[in-house]
Amino acid sequence: MKDLQPKGLPATAAELAVATPEGVIFRLPLAGPAPRLYAMLLDTAIVLSAVNGLGYLVYWIFAKVPGLGAMTITLAEFAIGFAYGALLEGFWNGQTIGKRLFHLRVIDQSGLPLRIEQAWVRNLMRVFDALPFAYLVGGISVLSSPIMQRFGDRVAGTLVVRETPLAAPTEEAWNNQKYNSFTMYPALTMRLRGAATPELAGFIQDALRRRNELAPYARREIYRDLVAYLQTEITTFPDELVEMLSDEQYLTNAADVLFGNHARREFTVGTRR
Amino acid sequence: MILDLQRFQAQERPCWTKLESLLVQLEGRPDRRIKPAETELLQELYAQTAADLNRVTHGALAPELRRYLERLVARAYAELYYASPTRSELWQPRRWMNIFRSFPEAFRRQSQYFALAVTVTILGCALGGFAVRYDPASVNVLLPADYLRNPGLRVRQEENGQGRHLDSAQIEAAFSAQLITHNIEVSLLAAALGVTFGIGTALLLFENGLLLGAVAVRYTQQGFGLFMTAWLLPHGAFEIPSILIAGQAGFYLARLLLRRREDRNMRESMREWLLLIAGLAMLLVWAGLMEAFFSQHHAPVLPYGFKVAVGLAELALLTIYLLLIGRRDPRAEALTSGLAGNQ
Repeated sequence: MKDLQPKGLPATAAELAVATPEGVIFRLPLAGPAPRLYAMLLDTAIVLSAVNGLGYLVYWIFAKVPGLGAMTITLAEFAIGFAYGALLEGFWNGQTIGKRLFHLRVIDQSGLPLRIEQAWVRNLMRVFDALPFAYLVGGISVLSSPIMQRFGDRVAGTLVVRETPLAAPTEEAWNNQKYNSFTMYPALTMRLRGAATPELAGFIQDALRRRNELAPYARREIYRDLVAYLQTEITTFPDELVEMLSDEQYLTNAADVLFGNHARREFTVGTRR
Repeated sequence: MILDLQRFQAQERPCWTKLESLLVQLEGRPDRRIKPAETELLQELYAQTAADLNRVTHGALAPELRRYLERLVARAYAELYYASPTRSELWQPRRWMNIFRSFPEAFRRQSQYFALAVTVTILGCALGGFAVRYDPASVNVLLPADYLRNPGLRVRQEENGQGRHLDSAQIEAAFSAQLITHNIEVSLLAAALGVTFGIGTALLLFENGLLLGAVAVRYTQQGFGLFMTAWLLPHGAFEIPSILIAGQAGFYLARLLLRRREDRNMRESMREWLLLIAGLAMLLVWAGLMEAFFSQHHAPVLPYGFKVAVGLAELALLTIYLLLIGRRDPRAEALTSGLAGNQ
């Protein structure tokens, strides 16, 4: 099955990298088996509810000819079972209701939207992926594929990606302050920049960004602990400065040193315009 | 180069916002068609955003911004490079109406895989037939169902109406739906098993042939050949070719997967595979109706000669349909290709 994987696309366990003709590489996060299973269970529930609802209607319409009613409902159940996924994915840009709710999308493995015939092929191939029970074959295929394809996806040349909503990063608060008292101590500032690990820097960033999500008591505790840690383990600013600053202001200054204008002022070479 | 992230974002944000709103507008269109002016704008914004992504990737540690730009570039790329479906696409309603003609055309184009499916089934039939003929002990293994092992008993029950569980048109209707869905599911599995490089398809066809050969010889040996033919032919005339076409689709898929990636025309191939599946599903609807409403009635209600004649007529019609429908006049085709060659 190795032969079925797209060539020339550097893929990792969690992402597919697509190289565009313009030479730009973008990465698409792949959907793991768990969200795909949840989406499938939800879709199955929707199909079963639709079929049951239809069943009541059909039995009511064909009350005097129950055999014809049974025939209609059996055929409709069968057709809906296959057509639900194929039609929705084909006409709704790779999403069923379950996939939309779990932020999943089926796409062509070249990064383009899938075509209707691909949607049909991957859904008809479910008869094989569902073998011998509970999608065991399909599940093994997903786990063994570097781009998490079940057999239906391998044949149709499709894959399932995660699509969590993203917004452009907003302006950070620490960029808005005009003066940073830490810059009075260049050596200590340099030490802070050099000694802070990316994890610690990220932690400070998160703590400030989530300011309004935290309860006042929790915020005070977290900020105080962070300041204490920075003062004792990373760099010790003079007491006369620290006493003048609130914990939040201390962290804002530190974030400005690590990420903000003061972090780049000395190193910026230039931008395009 | 180290990027002044703040200045960079402030400069480029209007472009990203514009691209995002254009994408929202385009993605909301069900037909996904783009006007020429929109294409131009999209191309321009895409190129700029792609360049921005490159700069962020190589010039700054800004994972969130990078993810955002990647998403934006991916969406724009999808809109820009996705060729909108044309009239000849399978999903077009007109195309669906053409399926009655397109299916036999696809069947003929891939006839070599049908021949392979027939060969595997005949091998199975031969083995099943020989086993029952020369090794009576194999009957218990090959024909586990009692009604297949004891043709005499079965024929008596059927002719007296004791074995007939279909006592009304109502039950027959429900039974036909079960037969249709079951047969389509089995055929679909045979076609999908092509993904095992055809091994699964071949095994399924062989097993089917084995059972068919064993039943045929068992019934004929005990003098019930006519009963069996009249019993199986009216629906078998469509059902057996359908499973063979499923095998054809399976072998076609296997051959496709064995080809080098660059030699595959996936779009065309998928359409071909789907046409074969759609065609066999149509045939199986008819086979299911015949099996439930016609095949289960025996002499004296329906004389065996009449049932066999109906079966043979169906077989003849199916052969004509598969071999002749959609066939173009070779002279007209030569003329068309000649004209195309001159252009």
